[in-house]
Amino acid sequence: MSARRGAWLARGVLLLAVAAVLAPMLYQIGLSLKPAPEVFGSALSPLSWPPVLDNYRSVLEKLPFGRYLFNTLVFALGVTLGQLVLAIPAAYAFSAYRFRGQGFLFGLVLVSLMIPFVVTYLPNYLLLARLGLLNTLPGLILPMLAGGYGIFLLRQHFKSFPLSILEAAQVDGASTWQILWRVLVPANLPAISALAVYLLINAWNQFVWPLLVANRPEVYVLTVAVQRFAGGEGVNDWGAMMAAATLATLPTLLLYLAVRKAILETFTEGAVKG
Amino acid sequence: MAPATRSSPARPKGQPLTGLTPYLYLAPALLALGLFIYYPLLNTVYISFHEWNLVSAKRTWVGLENYRTLLASPDFRGILLQSGLYVLLALVGNFLLPVGLALLTLQVGEREGEVYQSLLFAPTVVAVSVGSLVWLWFYLPAGGVFNGLLAQLGLPPQPWLSSSAMALPAVSLVAAWKYLGFHYLIALAGLRAIPREYLEAARVDGASGLALLRRVVLPLFGPSALFLFLSTVIQSLEYAFIPIEVLTQGGPFGSTSNLMYAVWQEAFKFFRAGLASAQAVVMIALFAGFILWQFRLLERRVGYER
Repeated sequence: MSARRGAWLARGVLLLAVAAVLAPMLYQIGLSLKPAPEVFGSALSPLSWPPVLDNYRSVLEKLPFGRYLFNTLVFALGVTLGQLVLAIPAAYAFSAYRFRGQGFLFGLVLVSLMIPFVVTYLPNYLLLARLGLLNTLPGLILPMLAGGYGIFLLRQHFKSFPLSILEAAQVDGASTWQILWRVLVPANLPAISALAVYLLINAWNQFVWPLLVANRPEVYVLTVAVQRFAGGEGVNDWGAMMAAATLATLPTLLLYLAVRKAILETFTEGAVKG
Repeated sequence: MAPATRSSPARPKGQPLTGLTPYLYLAPALLALGLFIYYPLLNTVYISFHEWNLVSAKRTWVGLENYRTLLASPDFRGILLQSGLYVLLALVGNFLLPVGLALLTLQVGEREGEVYQSLLFAPTVVAVSVGSLVWLWFYLPAGGVFNGLLAQLGLPPQPWLSSSAMALPAVSLVAAWKYLGFHYLIALAGLRAIPREYLEAARVDGASGLALLRRVVLPLFGPSALFLFLSTVIQSLEYAFIPIEVLTQGGPFGSTSNLMYAVWQEAFKFFRAGLASAQAVVMIALFAGFILWQFRLLERRVGYER
């Protein structure tokens, strides 16, 4: 087989895969823009012309989207910032020092990435219940702060930072705390922001934990709200359901379009956890 | 966190440090891991020796009774079997398929490859709970897209989600869709890491096509492929979890449940905390070998050397 024909064959298969992967997203958006009679009238064609915004209007009337958006933002930003604040000093310790128990402690960080969530949810739920934090945003955020991913990823970056610069700062009389926040963090800002975007998307898309501990409408995050709508008020109203789904998906998709490269890199670097 | 370490200067890398400094920097993160991952893990083991309905103040110590109940239960054997099926299907959809696509991508230019990468990755940033909803529509018995397509071909409609035989693969397909691009990204990164010179040298030696693939690409790609394989096995039940919750809730007749989903149901739908915890322990035990293997690879990759 010639190299040229091989390339065309590969291209064909890849395009087919792209079409298959994007089809559900296309149908989701298409359905959300269809007028009600068209939903079953032309099921196979993803789009009908002209698109209408009726479904969006009805969803926004029925659901307090602003509230859900606010909850989701507080939750996702809280988890992201909290994880960063915990991970940055820890990654610094693992990368710049050598100390007793280092291997074991880093092992704990790595293994934590592979422990399935259902194993920890029941005790965490009980703990929150005891603290009276069920159905509160802090309760939603707290257990999500335990994450080894940021430590793992940032340690790699901190380790590749030139030692001579750290030493120069030290000679200038900077404390370790100052070296961390004034030298290491600014120098690694691209990696830290990329990690922040990753953590944000991950938290934004969380479903099972919020479903478990935030099941009152006042504390719904978007994923849970959309699911409740799909199983309740919006059941069988496919257009409205897809409009709600599209609204909930839009922020992460836009973020992806905006900083695609950084997201792809972060996902590649720490390919431990999805 | 207080800058409690002003007095001790940063040591050059490689010098052992006996002071408290590194531990102070680690403390908050490790506290969170301990409190919300490792303590619950131990607690789960402890709860598994009890009979407890989650709400009553009374927990009855039953020793290994929950484990005995599980081993004797035909339902549990079904769940084990179904978990195995999920792992196998994940290996097809989230290991073989993405690796195959990544290998094909080597045939086209790097810029073109980046386009496929960006597009295939898109579902990864979509919440799987939200993204699964449109699949409900695809699988509708009447009016759904799949049965619409079958009708066009003159074939009878299929009970995608309401048949015990078809529902599990149908749910797996959603997981494959969601995580295909992510695994493709990792596979492609592994393949792209193979030094160009090796490929060129082999080409100069007259290797091409399949020979090049077998003698150069696959041996060098082996370690990252193994890593991806283990990731797929370890994550497979979790990948299916939300699609199960959205599409079937484990049904019909428990035919789409897996170990992970069963833990969730036992705990939070049937309130049998002891049984749920025993299931969780069995699950961890079954996957422990893979987790340990993956841990070893990861440990070697990051290394502790300075």
